[in-house]
Order: sequence, then C-alpha cells, then structure tokens
Amino acid sequence: MAVAQFVVNGLLVGALFAAVAVGFALIWGVVDIINLAHGEMVMLGGYTAYWLLSLVTGNAEGSVLLFLATIPVVIAILFVVGYGLQRTLVSRVIGTDIFLTLLVTFGISIAIQQLAIQAWTANPRSIQVAFTDPSLSVAGLVIPKMKLVGFVGAIVLTAVLYLFLQRTRTGRAIRAVSQNPEAAELVGIDVEHTRAVTFGISSAVAGGAGAFIATILNIQPQMGLVYTLKSFVIVVFGGVGSIPGALTGGMLLGTVEELTAGLVSSQWTLAVSFTLLIVLLVVKPQGLFGTEAQE
Amino acid sequence: MSTESDGGMLRSVVSPERIDRLFDLCGAHSWKLILVSAVLGALPPIFGLREGYMMTVVSEMFLFAILALSWDIVGGQTGYPSFGNMAFFGIGAYTGAILLKNFAVSFPLAVAAAAVVATVFAAFIGLIVLRLRGHYFAIATLGVLLASQQISRNLTITGGASGKILFDVPPGIVFYYFFLGVLVVEIVVVYYLSNTRFGFILNAIRDDEGKATAMGFNTTYYKTAAWMLAALFTGLAGGAYGMFNTFINPQTAYNGAWNVELIAMALMGGTGTVAGPVIGAFGLHTLIEYVETAFVGWQLVILGGAVIVTVIGFPKGVVGTLREYASEMDYYERGGMAATDGDNPEVTGDE
Repeated sequence: MAVAQFVVNGLLVGALFAAVAVGFALIWGVVDIINLAHGEMVMLGGYTAYWLLSLVTGNAEGSVLLFLATIPVVIAILFVVGYGLQRTLVSRVIGTDIFLTLLVTFGISIAIQQLAIQAWTANPRSIQVAFTDPSLSVAGLVIPKMKLVGFVGAIVLTAVLYLFLQRTRTGRAIRAVSQNPEAAELVGIDVEHTRAVTFGISSAVAGGAGAFIATILNIQPQMGLVYTLKSFVIVVFGGVGSIPGALTGGMLLGTVEELTAGLVSSQWTLAVSFTLLIVLLVVKPQGLFGTEAQE
Repeated sequence: MSTESDGGMLRSVVSPERIDRLFDLCGAHSWKLILVSAVLGALPPIFGLREGYMMTVVSEMFLFAILALSWDIVGGQTGYPSFGNMAFFGIGAYTGAILLKNFAVSFPLAVAAAAVVATVFAAFIGLIVLRLRGHYFAIATLGVLLASQQISRNLTITGGASGKILFDVPPGIVFYYFFLGVLVVEIVVVYYLSNTRFGFILNAIRDDEGKATAMGFNTTYYKTAAWMLAALFTGLAGGAYGMFNTFINPQTAYNGAWNVELIAMALMGGTGTVAGPVIGAFGLHTLIEYVETAFVGWQLVILGGAVIVTVIGFPKGVVGTLREYASEMDYYERGGMAATDGDNPEVTGDE
C-alpha cells in the first residue's frame, strides 16, 4: 500500500512539474532557446504569490479562495517579466551560437537568483493554506487537499495554454513562428513581438505553477536550477512540442522521485533525477512522444 | 552595431596596423613569451610574497587560468560548450582528499591519482555525452555535474554534506608553484597542439563536424581525447585545490559559481585562443576578488551582468575582438571578403 501512496503523491506533484516543463518546451520550440532562467520564473511566481498573500493577510496564510485569487496577478506579473526579458536581452542573441543563448539565460538566472537572496534572504518559505480538514482519504490512500488543488491547478494551466495555442489568433501566430519565422514574417506576423509574447506566456505558466509549488513544497531563491533541469528531463522524455508527452513525463518524474524518496531515501531524489536525465539523453534524445526534437 | 562603436573607440587609441603587428610579434616569439611569463610568474615568492591574502589571490588566479583554458580545449577549440567542467574538478578534489586523509597517501601521489581518476571518469562520461550536440550536450554536462555533486553528498567516504577537513597539507608556496607549473605546462601543451594536425581537426569539428567526419576523421576519437585532456588538467587542479583550501564539501568541490566563472573567463578573453582564457581568467578573477570584498553578496549579480554584456556586446572576447580589428588591415589590403575568416559580420545583430 505504501507504494501506491508514493505513486499517488508522485502523480500529484508531477503534474506541477509538467506545467513548468510545458512553458520550457514552448520557448524551446518557438524561440529555439533553452531558457536556463526558466526555473527562476517558478521561483519568482512562488514569491509573488507569497508576498501578495502576506500583503492581504499580514502573514502568508489564507483560505484556498484567497490563494487562488493571487494566481491571476502572479500570471500577469510574470508575463510582463518574461516579455521584458525577451525584448531587452534574449532577442539580441537569437540566431547566434547556441552557446551564447545558453550563456545569456544562465547570466539572467544567476543574477535573478542572487537578487532574490538579497531581497528575501535564503531561508525557505512556504504558503500555508488553511483547511478545516486537511486531507481526503480514498480507498486507504491519503490525498492532501492542497496537493489536489495544485494538481487541478497544474492541469488547468496546461489545458488553458493548450487551448490558447490552438484556438486564438495569437496562439496561431506563435505556432506559425515556431514552424517558420521567415514565412510568418511574410504573412504579416510581428515575429519579435510574438516571440516576446511566447516568452511571457511561458514565464506566466511557470510562475502560476510556482505559486502552487509554494503551497505544497517550499520556495527559496536557489530552487530554480533544479526546476530547469527537471523541465529538461520531462521535455526530453515527452518530446519538444508535445503537451500530452510533457504531462506524462512530468507525472512519471514525480512518481520516480516519490518512489525514490519513499523506498530509498529523500537524499537520493535529485541524484536519481539527474542520472535519469543523462540516461534519457543517451537512450532516447528525440523523446518518446515527439517525432523530432528540433520541431 | 556595438562592435562598430568599440572599433570607433579603439581606433582613436591604437590603429589596426599596430594591433596586427603586435599579433605578428606575439606569434613569432610565442615560445619566448611563454618562457618570460613563466619566469615572471615564478618571481613574486622570491621577492617576499610568501603567504597571506595576496598569495592566495595570485594562486587562485593561476588555478582559474588552468580551469578556463581546460574548458576552452573542448568548449572553444572543439565547439562543445560544456556546462559541467566542475565535475572533473570536484572528482579530482575528492580523490585527492580521500587519498590524503583516509589512506595517508603523499601529496604528489594523491594529486596525480586525482588527475588519473578525473581523466578516466571523463573517458567514461565522454562516451555518453559526446554523442550529443548543442542544447543536449550542454544540459547533459550540467546534469553530470549535479549528479556527481548529489552522489558526493550522499556517500560516507566523501564525508557527506559536511565534507572533509584536511590536515597535514603542504605550505601555500607549494601550491603557488604547483598551480603555476600546471598552468605553464598546459599553455605549452595547448599552444603546441593548436598548431598540429590534432588541433586543426578539433577546429574542424567545431566548424562542421559532418564535414570533418566526411573527410575521414574519426571525430569521436578526437573529441574524447580533447575531453580527457581537459579533464586531466582540471582534475590536477582539483586534486590540489582540496588541500590548498584545507576543506572540501559538495558546495566547494562542485562550485556552481565557479562553473559559470570559468566559462565567462574563457568567453571574455576570447574562446578558441590560447591567450584568451588566460587573460580572461586573470582579468575576471581580479574583478571578482574586488567585488567580493567591496560588494559582499552581489558577486553573482555582477557576474551575471558581465556575462550578459559580454555575450551581447563582444561575443568574441578581448583577443577575438582585437584579432578581428587587426584583420581589418588585411581586408583593405587584399579587398573583399577573402581576407576575413568568413564569419558572418552581423553575428551580434538582432536577428
């Protein structure tokens, strides 16, 4: 039964990993950049929710509805951050050497990291969401309500992103730029603007996921790199540009981590994820779901 | 764009011919230049600099030059930008520390063993990651670094998260000459190799690996050899660093900030050159030392900013930018694009 419990925990947390990874894959697919500062967007999203809640209630505690009310604000703020980063810095290296694009985002990542330490100290923080009855019990399995809320939130974020890309005019423009920037420009799409919007949306989704992560796990300024790498694992597993692939990959990674933590020791979870990353890259660099990684 | 304004500023100070002549001069007397620099580097302790803060700073400068130059063998010369070179350093540091502390092996032997272990590890990891390219290679190497850090944190022989404190280490002067010696040997090796068939093949792999393979070179062999060479020097430096610092833990042995710093040093000095990473290491380390004392807690912000500015402003680094500037003369003398090395001049442009 313990194993089933670990799997359930893993699936619940894994959906959040997937939501983070979907944004990461979006930038990779559309702008052709590995955004090493993606994890920092998760961190900033978590802190934004934390401070918004503190602003309203005095401490970072509140009811579920109050917490959920902060999510749209987090998304809006992180969108602006992402849009600005692309417009001011990242756009200048698009089309140059891959190494330079990696370095720019890495530079952004470490700068944001230390600014966050300066602003908020390195102590881990978390948002406390109050419930009268903290967990559900289904067939002997314990399901913490907040994890369930986070799970649903992650699925909603991913679904909204999917619908946005499929149904709206901006979404179609993003997909057009992803397929062929020159042709997109020819039919009158503002490529620079579309790329910046993509960056903004990706950061917004990561930030939204970060807010949920702040309620379930905890947030601290140096958490970012781990989430960037987890996203990479998930995207490599699921294939770039495949949202179902990312969801599966995220939940699988969550399950593997929870099983490692439960059956071996929680100290080994990161070592296992990073080793999994290397193994996956070697065995299946094109992903299990995507046909071609460079789409 | 920005390169033009740099050129304009440069032009008022020194003309392209001068720089061109300087490059010719350095090229013609390169071996003498290396010898003179080595002697100059060996002088300070003789004139009284034997311990204290300055001694540590200069030793670390040599250390970083070793790391940056090692990174450049694979990152700059071969075109495989690794984000995990500190893995070799950490493995070297742990090998040295464990041998010294748990098995009472002498300093020279422990350091040599550290280099061997790092090189063997590189051969093994290279087989896996050198098959990847671009984004995948960069992230895989970062994964290797983090996985080794996590594993070192969890084993008992490495002292776990609290690390190892080392006693009975040689005095600082030994490390000064050790790092200087390794650096000089590495400069000689890399400079020698860059003018051999081996070096040319590495550059060919960087420029177009498909073509290099088509020309009949076993690129895997050359890539792995370069990768192991980089690990050898990084492991040597790492092995000695543990004892130099008298303490290692997962954070210091696989230092994430250093991992960025050594890439930034190679980049700022000029990747793919021998002098570039060394100049970059000396320059950036001086700056970092200053920042660390003057603005505690802001190092990474400044480092990140410096990296961004370098990448956007002059991605060829000091040596690369100067060389481009100097080759302007060839451009005017011979005319046309034939004189330039065929690089896209708009590489810093916005699209």
